[in-house]
Amino acid sequence: MNEFFVAIGLGMCILVFLVLYRVIFGPGVFNRIAAISAIGTKTLIILLILGYVYNRVDMFIDISMVYALLNFIGSIAAAKYLEMER
Amino acid sequence: MIASSDDIIIKTIARIFVPFIQLYALYVIMHGHYSPGGGFQGGVILGASLALLLITHGYDEMKRKIPEGVIMLLGSVGVLIYAGIGLTCLLLGGNYLDYSQLSVILHVDPAHARSLGILGVELGVGFTVMAIMYSIFFDISTGGLLPGNEKRSGEWEDSE
Repeated sequence: MNEFFVAIGLGMCILVFLVLYRVIFGPGVFNRIAAISAIGTKTLIILLILGYVYNRVDMFIDISMVYALLNFIGSIAAAKYLEMER
Repeated sequence: MIASSDDIIIKTIARIFVPFIQLYALYVIMHGHYSPGGGFQGGVILGASLALLLITHGYDEMKRKIPEGVIMLLGSVGVLIYAGIGLTCLLLGGNYLDYSQLSVILHVDPAHARSLGILGVELGVGFTVMAIMYSIFFDISTGGLLPGNEKRSGEWEDSE
């Protein structure tokens, strides 16, 4: 079962790099914000998978919840900044 | 300066989320000795909830609801809790922050006194970190103007 989770985590890491292309070269700011948000959710899943691999899910759930929360606030702050620019 | 958001979805979601974020922050502070977290991390989450309110509800409303004097008072009270617990241990004959000396006051055995002392210190750290995080965010969002200069300068009306 451990190898299964490690394989899924590695696949998620590859997906993060695919989305990173959109962050760097993406046309416009809105694509970049959406891509950063997607990277945040993928990081959350990777953290939980790490928790399963280390058999300490109860610890990693706390960290991943904080990560999701800060991701949400960061997205809203970036959107607010764009609104003020206009 | 941050203006209030026009979007009712953003404002409602923020208003619903903020109590849960603060409850989670209190959980992080209280379980600091069992799981990742502690006073600083919980304080940062509390500050993030206030920053979310400031982003969505604007500068004017937040300045009315949480004045800067109250924030500074909270930050000072946190430091006072920390230093007070440490000095109490010192006065009871131990080292600074030697929590086991608190067992005389709390009427529990020294192991429980250590646990309660660490909890009190972390509460103080959480208060201070929340106040200072929010204060930094608040001051940056005003563009560096001091509170007394708000009416005179009139720069904000132009920049908006």
